[in-house]
Amino acid sequence: MKPSSFNYHAPASVNDVTALLAEHGDDAKVLAGGQSLVPMLSLRLAAFEHLIDLNKVEGLAGITRSNGTLRVGAVVRQAVAEHSADVATSVPMLAKALPHIGHFQIRNRGTVGGSIAHADPASELPAVALALDATIEAAGPGGTRQIAAADFFVSTWQTALDEGEILTAVEFPVWGPGSGFAVEELTRRHGDFALVGAAAGVQLSGGKVTKAALGLFGLGPTPLRAAEAEAALLAGADAAEVGRVAASGLNPLDDIHASGAYRKQVAAVIVRRAVQAAMQEAGA
Amino acid sequence: MNTRLTAGRYVGQAVKRIEDPRLLAGRGRYVDDVQLPNMLHVAFVRSNVARGNIVSIDTSEAKALPGVHAVYTGDDLNPRVQQFWHTMIGPPIEMGGQTHYAPLKPLAQGDVRFVGDPIAIIIADNRYIAEDAADLVQVEIDPLPAVVGILNGARDDALVHKEKPSNISDTMPIPEVPEVEALFATAPHVFTRRFHQARATNVPMEPRGIVVHYDRYAGDMQIWAATQSVSEWRSSAARLTGLGENRVRVIANDVGGGFGQKMMVTRDEAAVIMAGHLFGEAPIKWTEDRRENLMTANQAREEIFDVTMAVTDDGTLMGAKVFFWEDIGSYPAGAGAGAGLAGGVFPGPYKFPVVLPGGSAVFTNTVGKAAYRGPWMGETVAREQMMDHVAYELGIDPIEIRRKNVIKAEDLPYTTCTTMVYESVTPSETMEQALEMLDVDAFRAMQAEARKEGRLLGMGLAVYIEPSAIAFGILSSDQAIMRMDNTGKVIVAMSTGNHGHSLETTIPQVVAEHLGCDINDVVLVQGDTDSSPMGPGTGGSRSAVIAGGAAQTASLRLKDKILQIAAHMLEASPEDLEVNNSVVSVKGTPAKALPFAMIAPIAYQMPEMLPPGMEMGLEVTARYQPPGPFTWSNAAHVCTVEIDAETGHTKILRYIVSEDCGRMINPMVVEGQIAGGVVQGIGGVLFEHLVYDDEGNPLTTTFLDYLLPTAPEVPDIEIGHIETLSPTLGGYKGMGEGGAIVAPPAVANAIHDALRHLGVHPTDFPLGPSQVLALMNEAAQA
Amino acid sequence: MSDEVIVKLNVNGRDHKVMVEARKLLSDVLRDDLHLTGTHVGCEHGACGACTVIVDGAAVRACLLFAVQLEGSQIVTVEGVTPGDGTLNPFQQAMQDCHGLQCGFCTPGFVVSMTNYLDNNPNPTDDDLKIALSGNLCRCTGYRGIINAARTVAGLPVPANAADGSDH
Repeated sequence: MKPSSFNYHAPASVNDVTALLAEHGDDAKVLAGGQSLVPMLSLRLAAFEHLIDLNKVEGLAGITRSNGTLRVGAVVRQAVAEHSADVATSVPMLAKALPHIGHFQIRNRGTVGGSIAHADPASELPAVALALDATIEAAGPGGTRQIAAADFFVSTWQTALDEGEILTAVEFPVWGPGSGFAVEELTRRHGDFALVGAAAGVQLSGGKVTKAALGLFGLGPTPLRAAEAEAALLAGADAAEVGRVAASGLNPLDDIHASGAYRKQVAAVIVRRAVQAAMQEAGA
Repeated sequence: MNTRLTAGRYVGQAVKRIEDPRLLAGRGRYVDDVQLPNMLHVAFVRSNVARGNIVSIDTSEAKALPGVHAVYTGDDLNPRVQQFWHTMIGPPIEMGGQTHYAPLKPLAQGDVRFVGDPIAIIIADNRYIAEDAADLVQVEIDPLPAVVGILNGARDDALVHKEKPSNISDTMPIPEVPEVEALFATAPHVFTRRFHQARATNVPMEPRGIVVHYDRYAGDMQIWAATQSVSEWRSSAARLTGLGENRVRVIANDVGGGFGQKMMVTRDEAAVIMAGHLFGEAPIKWTEDRRENLMTANQAREEIFDVTMAVTDDGTLMGAKVFFWEDIGSYPAGAGAGAGLAGGVFPGPYKFPVVLPGGSAVFTNTVGKAAYRGPWMGETVAREQMMDHVAYELGIDPIEIRRKNVIKAEDLPYTTCTTMVYESVTPSETMEQALEMLDVDAFRAMQAEARKEGRLLGMGLAVYIEPSAIAFGILSSDQAIMRMDNTGKVIVAMSTGNHGHSLETTIPQVVAEHLGCDINDVVLVQGDTDSSPMGPGTGGSRSAVIAGGAAQTASLRLKDKILQIAAHMLEASPEDLEVNNSVVSVKGTPAKALPFAMIAPIAYQMPEMLPPGMEMGLEVTARYQPPGPFTWSNAAHVCTVEIDAETGHTKILRYIVSEDCGRMINPMVVEGQIAGGVVQGIGGVLFEHLVYDDEGNPLTTTFLDYLLPTAPEVPDIEIGHIETLSPTLGGYKGMGEGGAIVAPPAVANAIHDALRHLGVHPTDFPLGPSQVLALMNEAAQA
Repeated sequence: MSDEVIVKLNVNGRDHKVMVEARKLLSDVLRDDLHLTGTHVGCEHGACGACTVIVDGAAVRACLLFAVQLEGSQIVTVEGVTPGDGTLNPFQQAMQDCHGLQCGFCTPGFVVSMTNYLDNNPNPTDDDLKIALSGNLCRCTGYRGIINAARTVAGLPVPANAADGSDH
């Protein structure tokens, strides 16, 4: 299990990265934390002639709050975000999702941006980005552009990033007072990819749900936004009903860890638990 | 909560491990740590189909890659093999032996028989280049339908080995006994169940590995290997190459776990030995990677058990018929591992009037079967689950049906219906101790309360007797070669090895106890055929009993000679002397004393001071053979679980073990072996499952797919001890495998108890959340 | 094959210069080129934790890093968390006292991980400890002695019936 040969590049600026990508096309791959990419290289499930390391690129490692959003740079380590007071206060759903990722040694190297760009349908952060309507900032040869999370996750491990583009930051909206969040998942063991997962956010006003966000993971080819279930929440449905609605439209596949039928059945439970916990935190 | 013997100065004490500091500091010496001048590295080209004919192999591009030194195929290596069989199993039928081997050849030739089957071997400057070259070998295979699944294999629709008449390698039908048929026909109750144990594997944290250095001018071969038995490796390498055993040296320094997977030279290792022999220019190293380990190292546990039990109304056992189907894959290490022994030990801790066993070992196009920690353990898995199924059918508590049938102190010595003789076992006592540790009444009350809230709690009990220290053939004995050096310190050499058994500590405990010296004055040398005696190595829960017996005997022999010398010098009778802390003194006159440090140089350097006629030196050997083919140990395990009624997820609440392994040399080490075995057993029920699809493709070739338990999943394991002396020299009983043998039914029975009121009666492993919820759904719809 | 590159590494406080292919994993460079064989390779896909090292103060998988990425970083291996004078660090000592190792192959990964974790989290709960241990696989011990070693260092209670190691 040793990777194939590649040429290593450690550019210092985003412009240098996009220039290298333009030069090498799909022979090149960007490397962030490497916690998913390097195993695929070692297993020789993937091989690239050029590896472009983002870790020394300036300007990708910051967490900044402004204008109702929290901007997390592409190579912010998951562990840094996990222990960030800004993340905890501004985007509690993200803070709650992070400890579920792998193990502390993985989060010490893995990045927030890398996880979202990798777009594994069973991982937490893509579902959080989708649920919260985060904005993905992409840089390419023509400059930067903003991509709504709803448009970002195309299929398993496939995103709306063009060839030649990289994810440079993710902007998470900051919710106001009266909000509550929860991330619930069922895994075989601590730190495993979720068999079934849900990220829930609610905002209450006068005892009513005025804002709802529900992202699902492990339940389809991409992270999923449970829009009908959000509508039910806003319409005053109880958590169990929200769970049923969220599960009703799902069609997950079998794998060695769980059948699709299992995932669908348990999705209703996990969504209910997430909604209950979020409602409780919001003060319901 | 213990019934303990009085501990000695060392034996019976929780002595901290001597081997730990170097291992903790990262200074262990494992096979991959061997770095030799000019050493080259090996990678394999392996089959990606389970069954098919090899149309062509083109190695030209690989050979042309810079840094590649050789590429060998089956055509190069296989014809050079002299003999390929395992000492522990004996020679094959074709050579006058008793064993039906698979047609063992190092590399595939003509056809492939499982995914991972080695086709070619690359020797290159480093592993990176070797893997590059492996990718360049062009192999064309014409695929054929694969044989997957025990019962599919038994149908013989297609043959795994074209050299064999059938996929059924060995079979032993259940005997037809008219009296027993009559008994079953007239018994008040006869119940039948089919249990299925899922494929799991040993997973030593250090994968396999071997360094082979054949020097064609010196004419000798040196091997460093991750092995449980350097003697077995030497014999195998000699047989493979035709070299004399005296021309082969095998060294295993530290070995990162084995659990049975490193007992025997398998085809991969044989290919490296043959390649090293043919290459002959430089040492070559193969370090198995984890994907190879999960795809091609021998696996275990894929078994079906058909059990029929006859019982009276009150649950008294009348008899059983059991048939064991085992999937031995394509190239098992040895042969069908378990059926014969499993049938013989099926009665276990209960007074069965009759048990009729049978079994079949079936080849399939999957990786071969290994010995894995209790290779026969299917008997306990089947029997202990069946006891619960029968109890529930009769409306009896599973504890009560066991109390009614378990062997008690007054029954001893007891000969089972399968002719096994128990002299000192305590199945009833361990069961009662484990139940007391749980507090059954309190648990039942908690369970009832929980059930009112819709929560699902359950407890499982399982009891067994373990045939430890199996003593047949090469396994029958072990030797200690003991020498006191010039300074009065002791070196003892044994055939054992260091792969986690703590022998570097426990053997010195035995020696220090019986010789009368300080434990820090004793060093164990093992894992090197040049300095260690012939012997079977480490495995089969044998070392405490048999190696311990040899060490004890050698210590007493050495002490006897020391006392004779001291008696002569002190002008006393040997009977009047005693030894404490490496000093010989006259009883009651401590001033008349001689330390070992003074006696030893005399023995080597001053013959005039020795008793007349005494041979110089302080060197002894002792070989110990236990009195019977098995030394029986026993235990009872109790597990409690809570199952999430909505997700089917099982959480273990408590795990309790009461065991009797005779006199414990080191209770800390005993508990470590128990805990490790239990967690492997838990893994086999809740987490671990090696999956093949219908085409024979392995789907669990990484640690993201094959799930080992981790720290948050395991409970604090509570352990009680009962020590009753075995009839062996030290009174020891083997216990290394027991945890893994009995934990699976204990966990399964707890899940059964939690769900039975819902109509769920599990029989198959694994019992992960998906399987448990499916069983609950099925029962709810029934 | 790509060309070899010169990589400067600071390991356990010492500067090294090695010439390796860019694809060479940190775990292999430590073992093969620097002969620091305490870093063990158990899976090469980041799941078992045997190769854990500390990079710039944080425990990470050496098998998921290329050595070429680490110029300018401070790397500490199991050899570096060991005092070196023949004694053991507190977690290592607790591992011996609590029988936290058998074959010893996974052990350096646990030692590095938990030395780093307990340095950064001196007051964990029992659950915190088990979760912190979840990134390292052990096949011998059932984690019993390892969890108890971590509890000992963290000052948390250890279950009463574990047989304690005695000094001899």
